[in-house]
Amino acid sequence: MSTFFELSRAVEGGKRNDAKQITQSLLDQGIKPLEVVEQGLVPGMSAIGEKFKNNEVFVPEMLIAARAMKECMAILEPLLADAGIKPKFTAVIGTVQGDLHDIGKNLVAMMLKGANFGIVDLGTNVPPEKFVAAVQEHNAQLVCLSALLTTTMPAMRTTVQAVRDAGLTSVKVLVGGAPVTQDFCDEIGADGFSQDAASAVDLALRLAETY
Amino acid sequence: MNSDLIEIEAAESSSISLTDLLARRGHPLNARCGQRGLCRGCIVDLVGGELIDADGGKVVAGASVRSCRMRLPEGGRAVLRIHSQARISRAPQVGETFFIDVPCELAPSISWETGRDTGFAVDIGTTTVVVLLADLKTGEVLARAGDFSAQIRYGDNVITRIGAASSPATRLEMRRALVEETLAPLLQKACKRASREISRLAGGTIAGNTTMLHILANEDPTSLGIAPFTARFLDGRILQSDDIGLGGAMPIRLLPGLSGYIGADITAGVHATGMTLDDMPSLLVDMGTNGEVVLCANGRLVGCATAAGPAFEGAGLSFGTRAQDGAVSGIRFRLDPFLLETESIGGHAGLAGICGSAYIDFLATARDSGLLRENGRFDRAKWAEIPAQHRIENDEGFSFRLAGNDGPSISEIDIAHLLQAKAAIGAGIETLLTATGIRAAEIGRVYLAGGFGMHIDVPYAIAIGLLPGFRAEQVRVVGNTSLAGALLALLDRAALVEMESLRSRIEVIELNLQAGFEDCYIDHLSLP
Repeated sequence: MSTFFELSRAVEGGKRNDAKQITQSLLDQGIKPLEVVEQGLVPGMSAIGEKFKNNEVFVPEMLIAARAMKECMAILEPLLADAGIKPKFTAVIGTVQGDLHDIGKNLVAMMLKGANFGIVDLGTNVPPEKFVAAVQEHNAQLVCLSALLTTTMPAMRTTVQAVRDAGLTSVKVLVGGAPVTQDFCDEIGADGFSQDAASAVDLALRLAETY
Repeated sequence: MNSDLIEIEAAESSSISLTDLLARRGHPLNARCGQRGLCRGCIVDLVGGELIDADGGKVVAGASVRSCRMRLPEGGRAVLRIHSQARISRAPQVGETFFIDVPCELAPSISWETGRDTGFAVDIGTTTVVVLLADLKTGEVLARAGDFSAQIRYGDNVITRIGAASSPATRLEMRRALVEETLAPLLQKACKRASREISRLAGGTIAGNTTMLHILANEDPTSLGIAPFTARFLDGRILQSDDIGLGGAMPIRLLPGLSGYIGADITAGVHATGMTLDDMPSLLVDMGTNGEVVLCANGRLVGCATAAGPAFEGAGLSFGTRAQDGAVSGIRFRLDPFLLETESIGGHAGLAGICGSAYIDFLATARDSGLLRENGRFDRAKWAEIPAQHRIENDEGFSFRLAGNDGPSISEIDIAHLLQAKAAIGAGIETLLTATGIRAAEIGRVYLAGGFGMHIDVPYAIAIGLLPGFRAEQVRVVGNTSLAGALLALLDRAALVEMESLRSRIEVIELNLQAGFEDCYIDHLSLP
């Protein structure tokens, strides 16, 4: 008998093979996929996210844990879709035009999935109009923009502008990435900035509620 | 052609050791055991002439010897090859030495005449600038000089530099800082060392990354900071010294680059190592903030750049430093029985901080002894076995103190940063190899270039996965190959043609767009 606690521990410890095995065995025990996510994966990622915020764990451990969760989600996502489980909110995410660094963006996407967001991941080097089109197509509440270079930060400004110009006034734009600051976020008229992936989830939830 | 071949003649007193004699002649060696013949720090190759060993026996050419155990016979001469590792580094450590392994003919790319017969070869790095003077008539290298670039004040990394240089006015100021505050003084210094008037300079060649060359040519580098990283020019253009504020009415040839982020410094390296002439697949790894990797195999030339970040140059670590006097450059650690030895640059106390090579030593030996777990954390049980004076436990977590009460230490956060840097390079190499279907074992030679690469312990770099899957015998430390290539381009105009032709051959791989790169990177975040 596997337990949710074991799954949380395996995710937190980045033990992807254990985590996948436990996920499968929980499903085999007849537990619903959504419960596996909410009671197994999410507590594990939240625990490590919390430690990350407190500087008790660092980027490498965070990425290793996120990969463990991602591989479990790969098992669970089709089952969730089959069961007709609809995420409460939808977020469009991508790295802005000119930026190819996506490891941070992928981490945030994974964390948001764990928080029951529907994720439309546009990948890297995404032009403003593509963000706009995706928001419209998927009725997303959030757009998450990532930039890792000071040279690509200006593309965040143009993307925010494009979202506003398209009349998507109630959509919330989140920005993040190593060189991004709260000041920059305010300056370009984005709705929120977070320092790390764990805080991004809290922020996303808060902003989505006010959509 | 090896830049480290020197000829030396006996001193008045024939009783002094070869190590001391070399130090007096401006070649201080790494005599870290205090000339007791215990370490291998001062090993040199005897290429010509004779030496006398400690027992009075004769040693002839072909031998590798500890120079502290040797002396020259009275009135004798010897030709020695000094390996880069044997040299004591001095501040700033700017990679003035290198290895060239390609045929070179004396047919300078800069025309000369009597009275104007001296050329210069320059490597302009983001951090350091190195200048080398050569006699265009004889091809002889006359002098070297290196320093930190004055352009650093516009940003310590290439991306910040691109941002700053997008403003035309700032770009000109940045060029002025580089040319007038760094390059011109270095040329003067080198001329002085070579005892030549500056008026004898006829022109020179410059290698550097694409951004540095854009700023030098006053071209807007903005597009280099944004995918697809297009350069405004990559061809080997000729600048006039007067136009860039250097004076002297000389032509300056910029070496050709390969792509936006695989610049002329790498073209130079590919050429100077002779890797395209190897019968087996070969790999060039230039360890720096952007660790560039170029593979040459089965007629293909494939390159990528890794986002290693500056951790190995000491940035962002609690006691990290660039190689400079007094910095810890090597660490030997064992848990049982406990052993901790450090080497520092210039023989000073090691209080100036810890440089990249020492961090690699620590990662490898602490992992080997079980003190570090594969996730880069100190094993709590083993931690308790360490003598108390080396343990720091506070709000910041655990740190391993190397020496003294406020001496440098290595924290778990530092280790996390180092793991990210080594994962970027390790995964970059592995992804490039996977993309081209070559296994590490099939590579004949790995050319490890760059100032930092010069000082690392290769087996340890392999052990921590920085050079994943290779054997130490495959790796050749080649030093500043950017400078080597600039020198070749100066002395042999055919080299420039050769370098130009490399650009049409290079295939550039964008790591972030390779399926499997992220997975590979995450795998490499652990210690083997």
